[in-house]
Amino acid sequence: MKAFSDYHPVVLAVYFAVTAGITMFSQHPVLAGISLLGAVVLFLVRNGRKQGMSHLLFLLMLAGMALINPLVSHNGSTVLFVMNHNPVTLEALLYGISAGVTMTAVLYWMRSLSQIMTRDKLLCVCSRLSPGLALVLSMAIRYISLFAAQARKIHLAQKAAGRYGDHSLIDRIRGGMRIFSVLLTWALEHGITTADSMEARGYGSGKRTQFARFRMGTGDGLLLAGTLLTGGLTCGGMAAGALSFSFYPRIVWGEVTPLTAVSLLSFGLLTMLPVIIEAKEALAWKYYLSRV
Amino acid sequence: MEILSVEGLSFTHAGCSEPAVRDVSFRVREGELIVLCGATGCGKSTLLRLLKPELAPNGTQHGRIHFAGTGSGAARIGFVMQRPEQQIVTDRVWHELAFGLENLGVPQEIMAARIAEMASYFGIEEWYDRDTASLSGGQKQLLNLAAVMVMEPELLILDEPTAQLDPIAASEFIAVLHRLSRDFSLTILVAEHRLEELIPLCDRLLVMEAGRLILDDAPRQAAHALRHHPARLCAMPAPVRLGCLLGTERLPLTVREGRALTAEYACKPPEPAETAPRRTSPALTLEHIRFRYDRACPDVLQDLNLTVHEGEICCLLGGNGSGKSTALGVAAGLLRPMTGEVRVFGKPLRRYRDGALYRECLAMLPQDVQTLFLRHTVREELADAGALGMDFPFDLSYLYDRHPYDLSGGEQQLTALAKILAQKPRLLLLDEPTKGLDAAARQTLTGILRQLQAQGVTLVIVTHDAEFAAQCADRCVMFFRGQAVCTDIPARFFSSNRFYTTAASRMSRGILSETVTVEAIAACCRTSGGAPC
Repeated sequence: MKAFSDYHPVVLAVYFAVTAGITMFSQHPVLAGISLLGAVVLFLVRNGRKQGMSHLLFLLMLAGMALINPLVSHNGSTVLFVMNHNPVTLEALLYGISAGVTMTAVLYWMRSLSQIMTRDKLLCVCSRLSPGLALVLSMAIRYISLFAAQARKIHLAQKAAGRYGDHSLIDRIRGGMRIFSVLLTWALEHGITTADSMEARGYGSGKRTQFARFRMGTGDGLLLAGTLLTGGLTCGGMAAGALSFSFYPRIVWGEVTPLTAVSLLSFGLLTMLPVIIEAKEALAWKYYLSRV
Repeated sequence: MEILSVEGLSFTHAGCSEPAVRDVSFRVREGELIVLCGATGCGKSTLLRLLKPELAPNGTQHGRIHFAGTGSGAARIGFVMQRPEQQIVTDRVWHELAFGLENLGVPQEIMAARIAEMASYFGIEEWYDRDTASLSGGQKQLLNLAAVMVMEPELLILDEPTAQLDPIAASEFIAVLHRLSRDFSLTILVAEHRLEELIPLCDRLLVMEAGRLILDDAPRQAAHALRHHPARLCAMPAPVRLGCLLGTERLPLTVREGRALTAEYACKPPEPAETAPRRTSPALTLEHIRFRYDRACPDVLQDLNLTVHEGEICCLLGGNGSGKSTALGVAAGLLRPMTGEVRVFGKPLRRYRDGALYRECLAMLPQDVQTLFLRHTVREELADAGALGMDFPFDLSYLYDRHPYDLSGGEQQLTALAKILAQKPRLLLLDEPTKGLDAAARQTLTGILRQLQAQGVTLVIVTHDAEFAAQCADRCVMFFRGQAVCTDIPARFFSSNRFYTTAASRMSRGILSETVTVEAIAACCRTSGGAPC
């Protein structure tokens, strides 16, 4: 029993890549709508009423895209009205709405992704790609915060030493440059100790292993299989042209075949996987409580 | 069983003519806890690094080092260095623990088991997921130790591990070392300045001087051999110094033994402590100060009131996070209080414009003095501050051509002090000036601060070091939860504290009153063999 965010980072990364990828590369408005629905529901399930105002912002952005596109793009055959000698077309308006929905959907997936993928999980994914990279990133993250803290300390010490007044811009720039150059010296000095500490603990003495904080379980395998299956079906449908759709010069729905239905259904299932997992967990917990 | 033997070891750094280590021989048996001491620059660090092949410095080496451990590679000898921050490699606590094992290529299951075991042994579980940057100094050093211990070393070498820690974190760290030695019979070799707690615990004391090993004996015998060696004696724990002053045959090592000695030798009550120092006009006034670093954080200073009078040395003491350093930052105009007023020589801070505060008025020595250095040599550094031709109570000319980062802790402290004295301050704020200094450097600093005071400078010192405060302060202030809770002259301040006090005060409590330094106790005692008074 685990929440969606507790699944293995690699599985989560694959899930978000597949879902957001399909959303971005498809032009089909129904698919975009399904994706937006799934993304928003997942976000709401995870956050409840928190961040309520932010939804309004995204809605405004969607409306903005829908309205701006017909003003700048004049393709399309159904003219609604003419503004400043330029035709405003129905196709451009619909294209704007569809693109807005696609973009909002992708942004919502990314919002959930950034909440779920903490630094440790990202590093875990990186270490799968390249073990060296993960260590370098981990050290870099540490160095950046150390660097910033040291810069602040030096600034305060120098201020109290009365070396650089706040009154002149040139003084401040000169002071800033001095601090930067001494920070580099400090970083080198610091780096020597760190390098010693690494070597003292056997860095570079042989083949490294990676300590994995996250273990692949059966549930992870199932989610991965589910993602690949439903995503694969949708991609298959796209490749076979079952989800073809064009806005210009006039709106043309591709032929609706059983494959179209299967593709859209499997995409719907894909976007709902996280919500299904969360719901299952909530139910399981309730059931468990009622048994206590 | 012998685990390490060193025979006739000499070492000269590449590019140097003088050897750093000369003809050193000693043996270490399994399970021993050995303390290596000596003044800064005596070759301790070089010797320790030579013992760890991965860290051996460049240069020419003669003699033999034989390590009889069974394992191989970097895991055999664990090494912990002085600066807690700089030894940490990764950004998360769990990753830091795993780092050494990853390097050795240990398989996942074994790694998980060892990390779990060590994390719970060292009490790291609670901060297992935290950022290494968010830990306190003591936690960082404990993490460094744990990160070495997961590799299961046979010999643990530590190079001044507690020099950068406050006294409470330092005693916790030493307690952990003692536990490791007792529970696992781990062989430990530790170089240290802070001997108060280590000497009663250790099996042997090695003393180095100018690259030579001048003493290798059990602590009591070693202390006895040093009794006529004033430069070395000042680094010894207070009970040992008391024994030497009284001239006893058997030197006390612990506060308990020192106390028995005081009871036996005490013969007259101490001179009554001087009454409260004469009141001069205030140099620094903090009134109703409130301060917090972040809106979401609690107040660090809560309605703080503090007055420092002209010409006095005022020490601010208190635990970590009690707001001492923050109060200093507020007083120096670096942090803006939310409410309340700061006055320097009677004038509110906000009325000092355009850095006038920092010209011939107030100066601050930060905790990390390296933050003051911007140049490549000490000479440039002093010239930059306009301090080159000035007259200081100490001499720096022998350091002029060195890089400020290459100096020892004490030398860095003096260089930084010279730099800020160029501002000709009348009020000097110092944040933990004794951190990382050895006993000799601490004594030098005390003398210098006294001389500055004689020149009319008012000093406010934040310190954790009770011995230092007892020696140099006119007045001590105790901080607790962002307030100054009690203020008194050191003799009364430390004799009324039970825990936050000096070893001398603990040795004489209830026998003599208001004796907070070893010298004060000795003044009330007859000498060994002398007539009872």
